[in-house]
Amino acid sequence: MANPFPAEFKREVHTINGVKTVVLTAGRGEPLVFLHGAGIWHGINFTKPWTEKYRVIVPFHPGFGESADDPSISEMHDYVMHYLDLFDALGIERMRLVGFSLGGCMAAKFAVEHGHRVERLVLVGPAGLRDKAHPGPDLFMLPPDKIPAMLVSNFDVIKPYLPEKPDLDFMGERYREGGMLARLLWEHPWDKKLPRYLHRLTMPTLLVWGEEDRLIPVQQSEIWRRYIPKADIQIFKGAGHLVLDEKREAVDAVQRFLS
Amino acid sequence: MIGNARFDFIHFMHYTALPENQKEFPSLWVDFPNKYFDPVRGHELYQRYLSQLVLADKLGFDAVVVNEHHNTAYSMMPAPNLIAATLIPQVKNAKICVWGTPPNLEHPNRLAEEYAMLDVLSQGRLEVAFPLGTGMEYWSNSVNPATARERHRESIEIILQAWTQDGPTSYYGDFYTYRYLNPWPRPVQKPHPPCYIVGTGSPETIDLASKLGFGYASVFVTKQRARELNEELRRGAEQHGHHIRPDQLPLQVITYVAETEQKAREEAVEHIQYFFEDALRTTPTFLAPPGYLSVDQLKKRAALADKLHGVFSFENIEQAFFVAVGTADQVVEKLELWAEQMGTNHFVMFAAIGNMPNWKVVKNLSLIAQDVIPRVRATTPVHHRAAAE
Repeated sequence: MANPFPAEFKREVHTINGVKTVVLTAGRGEPLVFLHGAGIWHGINFTKPWTEKYRVIVPFHPGFGESADDPSISEMHDYVMHYLDLFDALGIERMRLVGFSLGGCMAAKFAVEHGHRVERLVLVGPAGLRDKAHPGPDLFMLPPDKIPAMLVSNFDVIKPYLPEKPDLDFMGERYREGGMLARLLWEHPWDKKLPRYLHRLTMPTLLVWGEEDRLIPVQQSEIWRRYIPKADIQIFKGAGHLVLDEKREAVDAVQRFLS
Repeated sequence: MIGNARFDFIHFMHYTALPENQKEFPSLWVDFPNKYFDPVRGHELYQRYLSQLVLADKLGFDAVVVNEHHNTAYSMMPAPNLIAATLIPQVKNAKICVWGTPPNLEHPNRLAEEYAMLDVLSQGRLEVAFPLGTGMEYWSNSVNPATARERHRESIEIILQAWTQDGPTSYYGDFYTYRYLNPWPRPVQKPHPPCYIVGTGSPETIDLASKLGFGYASVFVTKQRARELNEELRRGAEQHGHHIRPDQLPLQVITYVAETEQKAREEAVEHIQYFFEDALRTTPTFLAPPGYLSVDQLKKRAALADKLHGVFSFENIEQAFFVAVGTADQVVEKLELWAEQMGTNHFVMFAAIGNMPNWKVVKNLSLIAQDVIPRVRATTPVHHRAAAE
């Protein structure tokens, strides 16, 4: 299996509210924080170009990847509070914030409340809004072994990160992350209050989507734009939900927007 | 050890009038289309199953047992208290066991009320179990599987408070708030009806039963594992100051008695096969919704499922689980052996197996009542006799 986390990233371990929190960092410059999605097995190799200009900071959310579980986290807002503490620990006052999928929802909620700390905001295929006309599948109802193929347009892009045959440890890790996600989203797969507050995103904001996103349909970008009046949208053909993994152009577009 | 042996008859009330293409469905649980439920056949089956439960009482079984499952052809008892209420006027002597409603799928005060009603209606013949519920129940109800255990613990605490403390009391929990916990009626039995936990062997569940001093019945675990679990419960309960009696460790046995061993197998095996291959058929995802199991348990169970995977073999089932299919002599011998090994005197006879026709169930119950129960009851183990002399 390919290494999902590039060697040039340094691993820092912080204890935030008693919970082991692992943070990957690489590059120099102003801070760029990337908040990952609900599965981080496909890694962050796509962030490498950003490290040429920025200090890229990729924390594992508690309950996901290399960070420990925090059973006291029961709603998305708990992550906003977690990141306030983590950013204090890292000494980050202002940042460029990029959030993908579940991390997109977290980023939006963080920026709604702490807009003065977010220089520029990028939401990539963000989760969190209910679009009755374009709902997308319920993630919990998808058989786990079918999920990876649904995330991409070109399966070869993520294949190196998946075990070749059924692997109990890999299955266990995904089950752990699914359990954390259930704590957050089982009752309400979206955040019904979010539309009420999205107008507070007054910083320059970019929405990025893969045109063939089968998890969170690209049409949902329109409702995000409706609530965030000044947001730009960039849609990439030939890409699914993992648009950053699949399209270097998307990675470059994010970089151009952030600069 | 077998002194005062107790025999229960458990019924699952499968809906067996399945369509011919049922094998094409990977699961008969959760998403098996409910258009396949025919209410006319359903009525017939209810009548048949109720008559079997009533017969067990007449034949001298000590208890009848019903339980709860949702969205499935496995069970026509999503609301087992309704079945229990139907049984009470017809079942004259046997205890009525509802084993049971997952208390976290209900409002706990309501469950405390319903069980108290059944206890009063039956003049103190009710016994209850508080299962966490299978994974499948969480796909079928509006309760988060990831917090199911916490909610389960809290709801049991509320029910016990409602039964044991004079109301009104208050309860402020993480999941439930009661300003006036004061349910009417209250149970006849004091401090409350006998309680069990039923489970598939998660350490968290054993731990809970140990703390509460409840009985524990394991289901769908291997014989070896069931023995370990009983041992763990006895040890755990001891640490919390509870002494677990043999009758608190119900042992579920797939039982079929006939004139010869060969006849017993001929008559029973196809229905045991139906039970394992069809009634129980579901998907790994339905069995383990997110957060329902610890990661450790998930991996253990996935490894075990890989091992058990394959075509049905009665020999494998008989080896793995408590299965007593044979002559009365053979069944008695097995029950006495298992009672000794498991430290129990409480047998839960799974004697209406899968899609068994009525005549076989009636025959089976009759032979168990006539040739098995009296003989096991008469047994006084050697070491007890020695002590008495």
